[in-house]
Amino acid sequence: MGFLDIDSASKTYGSVEVLHNVNISVGEGEFLVLVGPSGCGKSTLLNMIAGLEDITSGEIRLKGNLMNGVHPSRRNIAMVFQSYALYPNMTVAQNITFGLEMHKVPKAERESAMQEVAELLQIGGLLDRKPAQLSGGQRQRVAMGRALVRNPEVFLFDEPLSNLDAKLRVDMRTEIKKLHQNLGTTIVYVTHDQIEAMTLSTRIAVMNEGHVQQLGTPKEIYDTPANLFVATFMGSPSMNLVPVSINANGEAVYAETSNSFGETVKLAVYEAGSDLRSMSGKTVTLGIRPEALTDKDGADHRSTHVERCASTVGVTEPAGSDTFVTTSFGGADCVARMRADTDASPGAVIEFAFNMENAVFFDPESGIRIG
Amino acid sequence: MAAMQQESAVRTSNATRVLIYLLLLLFAFFYLLPLFVMGVNSVKPLSEITGGNMMALPEMWTLEPWRKAWSEAQVGVQATGLKPYFWNSIKMVVPAVFISTILGALNGYVLTKWRFRGDTILFGLMLFACFIPFQIVLIPMARMLGIFGLAGTTWGLVLVHVVYGIGFTTLYFRNYYAAFPTELVRAAQIDGAGFFQIFWRIMLPSSGPIIVVSVIWQFTNIWNDFLFGASFADFSSQPMTVALNNLVQSSTGVKEYNVHFAGAILAALPTLLVYVVAGRFFVRGLMAGSVKG
Ligand SMILES: Nc1ncnc2c1ncn2[C@@H]1O[C@H](COP(=O)(O)OP(=O)(O)OP(=O)(O)O)[C@@H](O)[C@H]1O
Ligand SMILES: [Mg+2]
Repeated sequence: MGFLDIDSASKTYGSVEVLHNVNISVGEGEFLVLVGPSGCGKSTLLNMIAGLEDITSGEIRLKGNLMNGVHPSRRNIAMVFQSYALYPNMTVAQNITFGLEMHKVPKAERESAMQEVAELLQIGGLLDRKPAQLSGGQRQRVAMGRALVRNPEVFLFDEPLSNLDAKLRVDMRTEIKKLHQNLGTTIVYVTHDQIEAMTLSTRIAVMNEGHVQQLGTPKEIYDTPANLFVATFMGSPSMNLVPVSINANGEAVYAETSNSFGETVKLAVYEAGSDLRSMSGKTVTLGIRPEALTDKDGADHRSTHVERCASTVGVTEPAGSDTFVTTSFGGADCVARMRADTDASPGAVIEFAFNMENAVFFDPESGIRIG
Repeated sequence: MAAMQQESAVRTSNATRVLIYLLLLLFAFFYLLPLFVMGVNSVKPLSEITGGNMMALPEMWTLEPWRKAWSEAQVGVQATGLKPYFWNSIKMVVPAVFISTILGALNGYVLTKWRFRGDTILFGLMLFACFIPFQIVLIPMARMLGIFGLAGTTWGLVLVHVVYGIGFTTLYFRNYYAAFPTELVRAAQIDGAGFFQIFWRIMLPSSGPIIVVSVIWQFTNIWNDFLFGASFADFSSQPMTVALNNLVQSSTGVKEYNVHFAGAILAALPTLLVYVVAGRFFVRGLMAGSVKG
């Protein structure tokens, strides 16, 4: 039993089921990120935890107590909304203390709690302003202050950074992470930004069409995605997917494909499992991240299983710290991540290095990763 | 603000502009003429009106007609002037406007933020109430007032006007609150605010413009109503409009036109005042629902 348990939770609107049998157990002090494309049901799930939406079936428990039907204000949770939802008619100070006032906390106590939060978030100078007189970042802080002051068991965030500009978003991201490290409160955080998900979370739940596709640590999600959806959704540029045919030959297992000019490329598979062996002679999908597909000098020196092959460079995209180089394998467009000073130029034939330690395989029909 | 309006206006040539202004001036003149006639003649002795030109400025200025209309003129049986009826109207219009506005706000709040099965149908029916002609409800309403024991009282009129006004006020507030972010209500729920606390502490304080619209609309309609006042009030509760009619229609003695003019202006004054005080919020409030950025 975890701190916050979501047990076979489903949600239907009319006849449409938007969440299907969701099971997530969140430990105390964890930072769980719900990530997925628009409309996959992230907000719905968060609102169900908050008590703002009914749970159609299943259970949600906080510290072992059943939360179904419990009023949002009695769940000891606090929520930060995407639009911040600051009360427009109240000052910042009133916004922060409104919840305490509703819970009949004495005025002196409210005041000191507010000062403490204001100091923590550096909004002391804004206390007498109305929300309309604040910048986006300041509103964001006030919204967090309003959540913090209640000292809840669980913080819920619904895309809190999506209304900020790129620079501020990165700053606030760091600040939220710091806050979590300092306070150690359990957080459930919704975003559709996979970088936010990777950087903030202790665990990620990747969702699509109302299903939890994979639940795991950022590293698990990134290195061993459960299926093609997770593989392509997480990571930017997204994972390269190359059709290969498996050739199990005694001990060795090879993944065979072709390069840009039709030559056969034979890649020795690292630690092939029995499932992959049994696919011998069949076509599967090889997944390899751009950083595992490099020029021959850029390959990870610690990796003992680097396979090399030549192919034609399509376009090069210098991105400052790296240069992304496109080519094709097995008819699929691939992106390789090379050093910024790479000598690859469009049309040239160069050697690409596959770090096979980081390669994964998927069943092309079901999309599920082959172990 | 001014700059924005300038930009959104269509560019016109100077000639068209002159034409537009000329037309507008003509219309303004046309509409202001009756007011001028009323004003001018209410400060003349009667002899100047009967003997001369209605348009001319008074030769002898006097406030006597105003005093007479207010406190002396024969209205109905007694020579009380319009004063008691003016207060009757105030006693009717203030509670009626207040109650119908608050109820409209509550309805709008429920219809947008606490939605339930059949809420759109209910709203449709309430809208329908806006289109029922007064005449149709006269007899059933008289019967209801009788049953409630409110026949002939000011509170009876208040009830009639509240019932009649709720359709409009609900329409205003519903449309206004439809654009009001639901996340605010959710945040307040998490903060522990209940149904009425959310309404009083968050919704109403943010409803300034639409409250003004509702108040102006209700005030002018209720103040200017004649039919309900004539049908449901007795001598002790007759509103200003009915009294004015009685004053003008009274058949005894000579017709004191100057007193009638003064009385008519007195009857129109409160609505004029409401427009002047709150009018500039009126259009802004009407627009708020539709073009909120
Ligand atoms: N009140 C409702 N009635 C019917 N369907 C709804 C309702 N609210 C949400 N949905 C549907 O439920 C699904 C999930 O919605 P949800 O708001 O949870 O998506 P989301 O993952 O938060 O997306 P986004 O990233 O765009 O915020 C969507 O397909 C949406 O259309
Ligand atoms: Mg959402």
